[in-house]
Amino acid sequence: MILFDILSDGLFGAIAAIGFGAISNPPKRAFKFIALLGAIGHACRFCLMTYLHVDIASASLVSGLIIGFGSLWLGKPIYCPTTVIFIPALLPMIPGKYAYNTIFSQIMFLQNINQPDLKAKYMEMFFSNGMVTITVIFLLAIGATLPMFIFHSRSHSLTRRAYK
Amino acid sequence: MDQVKFVAEYAAHLMGCGIHTSRVIRNTKRLGDALNFDVNISVFQKSIILTIQKNETQQIFSEVIEIPALPISFEHNAELSGLSWEAVDRKLSFEEIKAKYDKIVSAPRMNQWLVLLLVGLANASFCRLFGGDWLSMFIVCIATFAGFYTRLFLQARKINHYIIFIVSAFIASMLSSTALLFNTTSDIALATSVLYLIPGVPLINGVIDIIEGHTLTGISRLTNAFLLIICIAIGLSFTLFLFTNRLV
Repeated sequence: MILFDILSDGLFGAIAAIGFGAISNPPKRAFKFIALLGAIGHACRFCLMTYLHVDIASASLVSGLIIGFGSLWLGKPIYCPTTVIFIPALLPMIPGKYAYNTIFSQIMFLQNINQPDLKAKYMEMFFSNGMVTITVIFLLAIGATLPMFIFHSRSHSLTRRAYK
Repeated sequence: MDQVKFVAEYAAHLMGCGIHTSRVIRNTKRLGDALNFDVNISVFQKSIILTIQKNETQQIFSEVIEIPALPISFEHNAELSGLSWEAVDRKLSFEEIKAKYDKIVSAPRMNQWLVLLLVGLANASFCRLFGGDWLSMFIVCIATFAGFYTRLFLQARKINHYIIFIVSAFIASMLSSTALLFNTTSDIALATSVLYLIPGVPLINGVIDIIEGHTLTGISRLTNAFLLIICIAIGLSFTLFLFTNRLV
């Protein structure tokens, strides 16, 4: 049952990565690796959060790193820069629920501005959700780009083909 | 002179279709090497200034080119980077490079209807990842179709893109608010319905640019991305205002 949960999480992560990638018109040869990294990244974060009880920010950083290293490794056989593969693969990990709660609590705060107890509750909700959203997005970006900076000579020559 | 203009156009095209600044500079310098030019570049948020020296004749040309607002294309990113390497490695002539460039730039984008379908499915599976049930997934899928179709429809008519984002976010969230009629995970449906609009590419490129020291273009990319996110929030807020008493 645990295995099924992980696999289905990975499957939906892959579909989401393909769909969000398609908006930005990637080369057709990149889709298989976008799907693979989207699945691995999201399933990894799911495992860390569900079974090892890691918080969402650290789990996102680890998944971001995995996606970043994966894109550096898989970019070479298909001659694609790392960004082409890792940006679509990161998108399924955007913390949409927290982003939505931030906006929702902002509106509720403004609607209940004359009721101190509700006002305080929504203020607190706004800041905690906003904090999670911004931290997670930032850590995802840092995690995925870090391998690119460490191995910069490899990441600069991914699109170089071997000519005879 | 033709060749100088071409190098400038190459740089502006790369910058316009969503590539981080250091790669644009690297690729353009490499293309310059292939044509036996020495290229120096300053990149700003709306224009690029190039100073190009022809190594044979020692002539110096200066070129300022505006960055066009192109749709983001990873295919152009991969293929045009590859072209700059190919030009150096195979010592292509200017005519060959120009012909390959024109072929890459004029290649058709992915079929719009296929993209629409994939985006709908992607947003539905996104809903699933946040814990939505099958009914909310279905509603989100339909809402995303409508929202993304609106976006394509308005983009084809060249309407201001902030307005496009507000309207598409409103339509997608409004349609997914039908989930409130059923006994389902309606808040998750509402939350995921607008996520297909998130400008992921400028967000990540902005972070990369800032870390690599191209702070000016990095901040301008992030500013653009945040404005678009605010527009998504405005579109979603219209829907939430209408349904606040049912959501609490």
